[in-house]
Amino acid sequence: MKKFWLIFANEYKRHVLKKSFIFGVLSMPLFLVLIIGISMLSVWLQFNDAPMGYVDANHLLSDAVQVPEKKSKIFPVAQAVPFKDEASAKAALENGSIQTYFILSENYLSTGEVTMVKNSKTGTNASSDFGDFLVYNLVSDLPDQTAFRLSEGNNLIVRSLEGTRETGADNWMAIILPVLAGVLFLIAVNISGNYLLQAVVEEKENRTMEILVTSVSPTQLMAGKVVGNMLVGLTQLVVWVVFAVIAIKVAPSFIPDLQIPSIETSYLLLMVATLIPSFVMVAAAMGAIGATATESREAQQIASWFTIPIMVPLWFISAIMLKPNGALSVGMSLFPLTAPIALPLRAVFTDIPAWQIIMTLGLLSILAIFSVWLSGRIFRLGMLRYGKRVRLSEAFRRAK
Amino acid sequence: MPAINVDVNEITKSFGTVKAVQGVSFEVQQGEIFGLLGPNGAGKTTSIRIILDIFKPDSGTVSVLGGPMTEEKKNKIGYLPEERGLYQEIPLERCLVYLATLKGLEETDARQRVGEYLDRFDLGQWRKKKVKELSKGMQQKAQLITTLVHRPEIVIIDEPFSALDPVNTQMVKDLLCEERDRGTTIIMCTHQMHQVEELADRIALINKGQTVLYGSLDEIRRRYVADAVIVRALQDLPASLPGVREIIKQNNHALLKFEPGKTSQDILQMLVQNNIALEQFEIALPTLDEIFIQVVQSEGDGR
Repeated sequence: MKKFWLIFANEYKRHVLKKSFIFGVLSMPLFLVLIIGISMLSVWLQFNDAPMGYVDANHLLSDAVQVPEKKSKIFPVAQAVPFKDEASAKAALENGSIQTYFILSENYLSTGEVTMVKNSKTGTNASSDFGDFLVYNLVSDLPDQTAFRLSEGNNLIVRSLEGTRETGADNWMAIILPVLAGVLFLIAVNISGNYLLQAVVEEKENRTMEILVTSVSPTQLMAGKVVGNMLVGLTQLVVWVVFAVIAIKVAPSFIPDLQIPSIETSYLLLMVATLIPSFVMVAAAMGAIGATATESREAQQIASWFTIPIMVPLWFISAIMLKPNGALSVGMSLFPLTAPIALPLRAVFTDIPAWQIIMTLGLLSILAIFSVWLSGRIFRLGMLRYGKRVRLSEAFRRAK
Repeated sequence: MPAINVDVNEITKSFGTVKAVQGVSFEVQQGEIFGLLGPNGAGKTTSIRIILDIFKPDSGTVSVLGGPMTEEKKNKIGYLPEERGLYQEIPLERCLVYLATLKGLEETDARQRVGEYLDRFDLGQWRKKKVKELSKGMQQKAQLITTLVHRPEIVIIDEPFSALDPVNTQMVKDLLCEERDRGTTIIMCTHQMHQVEELADRIALINKGQTVLYGSLDEIRRRYVADAVIVRALQDLPASLPGVREIIKQNNHALLKFEPGKTSQDILQMLVQNNIALEQFEIALPTLDEIFIQVVQSEGDGR
């Protein structure tokens, strides 16, 4: 057992301490922060909180009040200032006391026509700020609840054709999460799998393998490698998730309209319970491929047989959304290679029967154990074989 | 009687239709250097891998340190494979310490012993360098450190002198003798017969997967003794001598190959009777190279 930990620690450290790994882990969130920062900077540069003028010939806004400030102070709401005619508004724009002015047409109520007069200093926020001001004041005579609803719009509920599950359209996180988790899972599996693949192929190529197998059993060696490299991928995943959680916590203070819906704990548990055995299954398969392949490029090609099926549910995402209990959706959530993404995705749109969840998780767990066992067999047969691949039939025959 | 540390008994191993080993047997005693010889593809490496439990034999048995190989016994064995292998992308010291810990050493002990060996092998200044930056000879020495660092009871080395210059070859020889004197059992596979002659106590010659020669070096040499003597005379030898079919003059001595039925005693007697004053008279023992070629050729392998 001690040697398992030695191999595990060595595999983990040799990848995690590499500059390329640290750069790879941090580059994604830093890149996103950079993109968001640049976007915000771009918005900020085009933002102008100077007052906006308006000319209201119909006196629709005679008792107008300003829209209350939102939580964020980064982009304050521009104040709206009334002008009795266009000439005075134009003069104010020219002398810089306002950034733009709006003219409500005489038949505004029937046509909704508003003319915006702007110059080079007008901010990109002006039209939306004036729109908010207009709606806020037009509905001010209505009861508070009605005014609130009119200004906030509808909350659309999406219900699947035969499913019992309903999803709010604004609960974007519930739909995005399984897709996001699936993509992150794919990335993590690819990272771990490729590290494992490289490690095994490299040890075959540089002939370290023969030294290793005279020190530890192939099973210990394989298990240490699978777990060590799996953790490398998970480390990357965890770092990204931590960054995402920080972003989710921090984002609303910058973007007041952004609402982060909560995720049910049972849903998260289902996702974790699906992903862990899937991870072990794929990682073990990658190790076996590394042991059987004769060179790195060949190993990469064989590895794609395992990673491509995992992505398949993403291609059929609309079918899963429309018919979460259809044969295709159920089939994909039961098939071990497509289940990691298909099962959590289905769970968003329907209440999956317990027997299906148990069956999927059972199948995944059995296959994960079988994968580790089989890869151990294949590993033992293939570890010192150069130039000739191990066939599955041979692995089974020798296993007897 | 020294203990038998490795007992290989009639092992066979096939890969598909290829019979790599078909009945190899030998015993290796504690504290001896044992030469395992054979032409390329004879089955030496497969036999070694069976001893090390990398391969399971199809039939036959192997006993190591008094019984079958176990995970604990792996820590008592040092192995230098023919195809050398070290992690190329990590510093030398880290690589050696990791491999030493896999042989059961605690990290602090491993670090200390690796340091001692690195200094002894003049590799101290390279300890922080990546393995790939080392020359082939240096890597060979580093590999030898991984074989010996955990003070194994059995050392199995395949072609230990390849890529080494004469100075380092001598250093490795001294090290192997030192290990033997410490009581370590050493199995040495090599094609370099003069190294075996110099170091090994006993040998086994494997050809076509079978043991064709096995025993102590002296005993084998006597078994293959040539029908010839080496003489150094105080005068020039005549062109022909009775009972001698060929005289081969070499520098200051001559090799006398005698006719069938004659013995070295007959030749000595004949030389005395012919008043040839002798400075040296010696039975010409065959070299291991000659025995190797003779045996392999007689087995029908023309290499």
